[in-house]
Amino acid sequence: MSDLDARLARLRGSAQPKRHTARTIAAMTANPGCSRRAVLDAAGVDKGRLATQVGFPARFGQSRFAITRGNAFEAQIKADGCAELLSLLREKLDLPLSEVGYQDLESLGNESNADRHARAREAITNAATEAGTLFDHPLLRMEVGGRAVYLEPDLIAFRLAGRFHVVEIKSFPVIDGQADPAKVAAAAIQSAVYVLAMRTMLEEQGLDPATVSHDIVLVCPKDFANSPAVTLVDVRKQLTVLRRQLSRMARIEELLDLLPDDLTVDPRPDADGVPTATPEELGAALHRVDARYAPECLSHCEIAYFCRHEARGETSALGRAVREDLGGIESIDTALALARETRRPTPEQEESAALLRAAARLRAEVSA
Amino acid sequence: MEGVAEELERRIDKLRAAVRQAIMAGDRTAAAGLRRELREAERAWDEAVAGLAQQVVPAPRGAGALLPVREQVHHALTLLSVPAAPRLIGEVHRAFFAGDIVGARLTSLRRDEERSFRLAPYSRPYYLCAVLSADVLAPARGLLAVSTWPLERRIVGPLSPRVDFLTCAIRVAEHVERLPEAGTSASRLLWRFAANIPGLGMDPGGAATAAAVAAARAELAIHAEADRSHRAAGAARATEQLDDAGRFFGTPRQRANLPRTARSDPREGAS
Repeated sequence: MSDLDARLARLRGSAQPKRHTARTIAAMTANPGCSRRAVLDAAGVDKGRLATQVGFPARFGQSRFAITRGNAFEAQIKADGCAELLSLLREKLDLPLSEVGYQDLESLGNESNADRHARAREAITNAATEAGTLFDHPLLRMEVGGRAVYLEPDLIAFRLAGRFHVVEIKSFPVIDGQADPAKVAAAAIQSAVYVLAMRTMLEEQGLDPATVSHDIVLVCPKDFANSPAVTLVDVRKQLTVLRRQLSRMARIEELLDLLPDDLTVDPRPDADGVPTATPEELGAALHRVDARYAPECLSHCEIAYFCRHEARGETSALGRAVREDLGGIESIDTALALARETRRPTPEQEESAALLRAAARLRAEVSA
Repeated sequence: MEGVAEELERRIDKLRAAVRQAIMAGDRTAAAGLRRELREAERAWDEAVAGLAQQVVPAPRGAGALLPVREQVHHALTLLSVPAAPRLIGEVHRAFFAGDIVGARLTSLRRDEERSFRLAPYSRPYYLCAVLSADVLAPARGLLAVSTWPLERRIVGPLSPRVDFLTCAIRVAEHVERLPEAGTSASRLLWRFAANIPGLGMDPGGAATAAAVAAARAELAIHAEADRSHRAAGAARATEQLDDAGRFFGTPRQRANLPRTARSDPREGAS
């Protein structure tokens, strides 16, 4: 175990590390400047549980019903040797009749991640040169913040005419050719994570990464029924965003170097699994790691309510647009004082102060 | 015994509520004490339920069903003639035999069969066994087979899911043909197959049995040869590397494709 691993394990404490999924990586890239999220994710901390322990339980997450529905739809598509999926691909993408191979790369029980990844790599690199059509649950690996993480695979890699496509099965409906744009965007960025991870894998094997297509195959229920429909989605834009965000993400070692060596968010459970660390201790440990809170965090980070509480009174809590408009003014109190002209602006605050004063005057005129 | 288990269930429910209340009230010591009691009660419940299972096994009085569940599964699998998932087995049984197979009992079936085989090998005329994947010789997820089938049929290669699907379609269509009149569940089953075979329309009325058989045979002809060679290669390796129990139930705890290390010892009793 390397130094870095030991350090992250100490930070996490006794709990099992939480696995990365395409969903968490997609969410991570949404706020790449946040050290708190980067460090906690790299250590595999269960952020949802931690948030509950410090008294700010996350009020979001996938609903149980949505998960059940998603699983049922996926099971239906994959039943009987992917019979429905094959019919769809034949109909929509002209998959030749002879291409029906299906290989399940699901875990064999107590197999290690490295073994399982090696099996997936072998199957897919073989397929790149020989035969094979559908590869279910390949375990992929990806570099995040200077560290390799395994991705919980929830995809099928599908080979057509020498190119791989990522098949993403989602249970939101496509009604009359239209789906919820937010959901499609989320699915696209998650698939982009898989595309990137598969490209990395092929590149490591000395194969052409462009073999993995940037067109992903999205399978959704059609209209109000349960019958599936296939759409090709171009994820080139998401790939660019993802690649840029991943390279911008500060390296974990550098972030850890700024933190005290004994920092930990270990809840220290006793024999019965009841945490003995007090919320104050855990909160204090969390405060040591810098966060960059923005209101968007609430929709994709479990610990966002804690950060929002911490950021109260700061201009950044009002959103990125406000923070950019009020560059150099950190707290809301300062901003109000400048607007009411009860405080003299420093030279670098002049410009924002003029804006604030104008806004205050307009507001006074309107409400007068 | 059953009364004891029910009593314990009520107690567990009460304890859970008490633990929750203690946590909400912030009383850590009381919560810890209650949790310990809860663990005790759960352990006692496990024992009581294990006792129930032992009572039931010698006399499987299935509610409504006249045959033990393994016989029902055997009938359905014999009709299909290829490995199948529990869901399909249940549907086939409903369509062509009387009564439903209780899904919950299928989940433990394979484990029970394995235990029985390892305790007293070959003491039953047949066993419901696992299907091995051709590459790593590990049990394939959620498929059941019959131990009297040739080894090739109990091994799945990359093409086998499709080949088995088409074979099932042919067998179901032939069986529907033989029936004087097909019931709704039989025709629905056939239609589900027909919808995913190329060359047959999605029209429920159009799934004529002869056409379904012909279309499925046409596609089967494309894959059959390659699939047979994958399965034969897998079977050859299984014969060489695994013992009897391993060939029927697989060795999930070992990487069976590693040379010579994969031999399982039946005395281990690992399931």
